[in-house]
Amino acid sequence: MGATPTPVIRRSLFSWIWGANTRLQILVLLLISVTVFARVLPLEMQKRIVNEAIRLQQIDLLITYCLTYLAAVISASGLKYLVTVLQVTISQRTLARMRQDLYGHIISLPLGFFRSTQPGLVVSSLVSELALPANFVGMAVAVPVINLLTLLAFAGYLFWLHPLLAILSLAIYPLALFLIPLLQRRVNQANAERVDLSRRMSDKIQESIAGIHEIHGNGAYRIENRKFGDLVSLMYRVRLRWDLYRAAVKVTNNFFTSLGPFVVFLLGGYLTIQGQLELGALVAFLSAQEKLYDPWKELVEFYQAYQDGVVTYDKTMRYFDAEPEHALEPEGREPYRLDGRVEVQDLAFVTGDGIHLLDGVNFTLEPGEHMALVGFSGSGKSTLALCIGQLYSYTDGRVRLGGVEVSRMSKRDIICNSGFISQAPYIFDGTIEENLLYACAARQENDGGAPPEGLPTLDDQIEVLQQTGLFLDTLRFGLNTILQRDARSALVDQLIRVRSNFQQQYGKALADYVEFFNKDHYLFYSSVLENMLFGAPVRFDTETAGLAVQPFFIRFLQKAALEEPLIALGRDLTHQTVNILGNLAPDAVFFEQSPISADELEAYKALSRRIRKEGSQPLAPADRQMLLDLALRFAPGRHKMVSLPPEMEHQVLEGRALFRDLTERENPGAFAFYEAARYIHSQTILNNIIFGKTKRSGSKAQDKILQHIVRLLIQEDLLETIVQIGMQFQVGSKGDKLSGGQRQKLAVGRALLKSTPLLIMDEATSALDNASQARIQNLLETRLKGKTTVIAVVHRLDIVKNYDKVAVMKAGRIIEMGRYDDLVAGKGALYELTSGRA
Amino acid sequence: MNSPAGGRDATTGCEFQENLEYLRQINFFSGLSIESLKVFAYLCTRETFAAGETIFSPQDDDGQAYYLISGAARLVYPDAAGDILVRTFNAGQFLGGLSLLSGIRHLYALQAQGETLCLVLTRERFLKALEQFPELVPKILKAAVETVRGWEKRYLFDMLDKRGLSQSMAGISVL
Repeated sequence: MGATPTPVIRRSLFSWIWGANTRLQILVLLLISVTVFARVLPLEMQKRIVNEAIRLQQIDLLITYCLTYLAAVISASGLKYLVTVLQVTISQRTLARMRQDLYGHIISLPLGFFRSTQPGLVVSSLVSELALPANFVGMAVAVPVINLLTLLAFAGYLFWLHPLLAILSLAIYPLALFLIPLLQRRVNQANAERVDLSRRMSDKIQESIAGIHEIHGNGAYRIENRKFGDLVSLMYRVRLRWDLYRAAVKVTNNFFTSLGPFVVFLLGGYLTIQGQLELGALVAFLSAQEKLYDPWKELVEFYQAYQDGVVTYDKTMRYFDAEPEHALEPEGREPYRLDGRVEVQDLAFVTGDGIHLLDGVNFTLEPGEHMALVGFSGSGKSTLALCIGQLYSYTDGRVRLGGVEVSRMSKRDIICNSGFISQAPYIFDGTIEENLLYACAARQENDGGAPPEGLPTLDDQIEVLQQTGLFLDTLRFGLNTILQRDARSALVDQLIRVRSNFQQQYGKALADYVEFFNKDHYLFYSSVLENMLFGAPVRFDTETAGLAVQPFFIRFLQKAALEEPLIALGRDLTHQTVNILGNLAPDAVFFEQSPISADELEAYKALSRRIRKEGSQPLAPADRQMLLDLALRFAPGRHKMVSLPPEMEHQVLEGRALFRDLTERENPGAFAFYEAARYIHSQTILNNIIFGKTKRSGSKAQDKILQHIVRLLIQEDLLETIVQIGMQFQVGSKGDKLSGGQRQKLAVGRALLKSTPLLIMDEATSALDNASQARIQNLLETRLKGKTTVIAVVHRLDIVKNYDKVAVMKAGRIIEMGRYDDLVAGKGALYELTSGRA
Repeated sequence: MNSPAGGRDATTGCEFQENLEYLRQINFFSGLSIESLKVFAYLCTRETFAAGETIFSPQDDDGQAYYLISGAARLVYPDAAGDILVRTFNAGQFLGGLSLLSGIRHLYALQAQGETLCLVLTRERFLKALEQFPELVPKILKAAVETVRGWEKRYLFDMLDKRGLSQSMAGISVL
C-alpha cells in the first residue's frame, strides 16, 4: 500500500482532469495543435486562389490550391472527430471512476449517516448528478485549448492581413467578455431557484396524492388546485426568467460577433476601393472573421458547462463529506488473528444529544464462553452488541477483543475475527450459495479485489445448511428446479426410478395432496396449455409464447374451436389481474399466484385499457396473441382470480385427444407425451418425481410430501445432488423469494461458515419457528461452546438456561450477571423477568 | 364484469370473489378500502384440515390467521392432566388477527373438529400488502384495539353476572 489517497469527497473537480487521464489529455493536445493548423490553412488557400490563381488565370495553381484546401478541410474534420472521441472517452472514464469512488466512500460511512440520508438522494447523486461534472472534465482540456488556439490563430492571421482592420473587428470581444458573465450570474440564480421550486412542487404533489381521500371527501379540488396553481405560476415566472437570461446570453453573444463583419465591410470595403487592400485579402479577412464565431461560441458554452459542473460537483461531494469511523484495511501489517477473549470496561455510549444508551458496562468473557444479554426493549442490549462488533463507536470506556482495543482496529481486523448476525438480516440478489459464502468471500477479498481463494467446500456448506435447518428449504428449491435438457442421463434415470418407487409406496397415501398426471382428467393445477399437450415440446420452444405462434398450433386451436373461448378467458384474466395487482410494487409475493409476471404487468395494463376503450371492436393480432398467451398459462388451481368455464374443461379434454392425433399425423416426434417411464423436461424435478403437481400450498402439506420424497432420494443417493441444485436458486432482490425465517437461517449460516473466534447474535433467531430455534441453540451448545465466544441478545428467556453467563440489562447498565440457575435462585431481576413471562 | 365473448363470466363465483366476500364479513378487516381487500383476498389460500388434525400448537408462531369456511375447530390448552377445552370456533369465525401484526407464540392448540376448510392469510403476505397501503395501518390497529376492548367488555359483564371478577386479571383494555 502506498501513500493514503485523497478521499474522493476532498478531491477538487480539477484534479480529475489530469491524474489517470494525463496520457489521453496529452494526446488531445497533440491532435489539437495539428487541427488548428489544418483549420487556418484553407484561409490562406482562399487568398491565394483569388489573388494568384484567378487573377493570373493559372489553372494548375487553381487545382493545387483547391486540392490543398480540400485536404486541409478533410484533415480538420477527421482530427476534430478524433478529439471528440477522446473527449467523450475521458468524460465517460471520469464518470465511471467518480461513481465507483463515491459509491465506495458512501458505503464505508458510519451507520448513523444513513439514518438521516434518503436513499433517493444517494441514487440521484450517483446516477445523474455526476454526469455534469464528468462532462466538464471531458471538455476541460480539449475545448478551451482547441478553441483558444483557433481563435488566436485566426486573430493572428487577421493581424497579418491588416492590423488596423483586425484591431477594430476584434475590439468587440472584450465587451462580450464583460457582459456575458453578468448575464450568466442571473442564469445561475434563476436555475438555483428553479431547483428549489421543483422540490417544493414535488412535495406538494406527494402531499395531494397521499391525502387524496381527504380532498375527495371534502370536495376540496379547487382549494388544492389553487395551492398548486400558486406554485405553478411561481415556477412559470422562474423558468421564464431562466430561459430569457439564457437566451439573452446567446443573443448578446450573437450580436457582438455579428458586429465584426459590419466593421470589415465598412472599413475593408473603403480600403479596397481606395486600393489599399487586395480583394483576395478582403475575402480571406471576412472568411477568417466569420470563422471566429464557432470557437467563440464553443468557449461560451464551455464556460456554461464549467459553471454547471463546479456547482453540481461541489454540492454533491459536500453532501457526503463525512469520514468512515475506522480504517478499512490495517496499515502495513496483516489482519490480527485474535483469540475470542472479550473485555469490556466502563463502556459508555452517549448519543449526540446526550442520551446515555450505555453506561458503565463491565464484563469479561474467556475464549469460548457464551453470554446471553437479556432485558426489556430499550435496555441497551443491541447497542452493546453493536459496540462490541464495531458497528457503533462507543464514546467512553474500553472494549478489547483478544487484548486489542476494538475502536483502534481496522474493519478488516474486525471481520476476520468476528461474525455478526442482525435481527433483520439483509440478503442480496444472487443464489443461495452466493449468499451463504458472502461473509467468507468478503473476508478473503483483499485490497486489489483478487478472486477469493480457499472458500469453504461444498461439504462445509451442506453441513451448515443442515445445522441451520435450511437444508430442507434448499432441497425444496432443488426439487422445484427444471433440469436442463442436457442434464446427466444417469440423473434422469435415477429420478425415473424415484418416481416409480413414489408411485408404488406413497401413491395412494398422498392422493389428497397430489394431482397426478392422468390423461383422462382435466388437471386443475396444470396450465391450459399443459392440459392440451399433455406432453412436453421436443422441437418447439418450451415457452408458451414460442409455441402459441406456431401455425401448426394455431390450426389445432381453430380445429378444436378453442381459439375464441381462450381469447375471452385471456380477456377476463387480464382485466381481473390488472384490477387486483395493477397498482402494487413488483414484489415476488404478489405475483406467486398470478399468471401475469411482474415484468409483464405494464404491458397487460396497457392492453386492458385498450380493450376497454375499443369496446367490441376487433382486437389487433398482437393483442389477441397476448390474450392467448395468458389464457394458455392459466392454471385454475393456482390462479384464483377467475374460474375455468365448465364448458372449456370438456373442450380442452377433447382437444387433448385431437392434439395427439394431429401431432402424430403432422409432426411425429415433436412432442414427448407424459408417460410413467419418461422424464418430462418441461417440468420441475418434483413434478417429475410425483408425476403430477401438488394440490395444497400449505407448508404442512408440502412437508408431508417432502418427507416421503427425502426417503426415496436417500435410497438413490440423490439427496445432496438435489440440494446442490437448490443452492443455485436465485433468492431475488433483497431475498424476496425467501421467507423471513429462511432469510434469517441463511444469515446464521453465513456467519457460522465464516467460523470466527467471536460470534455476535442480535436476536438472530427471533423470526424462526420453535424447532429451528431449538436446532440453532443446540448447535451453539454442542459445537461452539469452548471454541467460539458467543454474545447473544436474546428475547426469549426459555433459551438462555445453558449460557455460561446471563447479563440482565436495564437502562444501559448490566444490573445482574451470572449463571441462569444462580440468578433465578437469587430472585433478582432475571427471576422477575422469567416469572412475568406469559 | 361482462365478457363480450359468449356471454359467460369467469370472474363471478370464482374463489377470489368468495374470499373477498368472507373478508368483508370479518371485523378485523372492517373499514378497509375495497382496493386493499381485493389484494388481501387474492393473497389468501385455502387449507383443508382432517378431523383431529392440529392446525397450530402451543408455543408455535405459525404467523397465520384463519377464517373457518366450513367445519369447526377446538381451541385447547394442553394440561398435564389432559386437554382443557377453551372454546370452539365455528364456520364464519375468524382467529389469528394478532398473529398478522407481529410474531406471537400461541398459548393454545387449535384442532380441527371434523373436516375443516379454512381461509388462510400469512403474516408475511399481510405485511407485504400493508406496505402498499400504509394508510390502512391506523384502521387495522383500531380494529385490533376494538377487538380487545369488546372482548374485555364481554368478559366483564360475564364475570359480574357470576360475581367472580378477578381484580388482578381484569383491565386488559386499559393496558
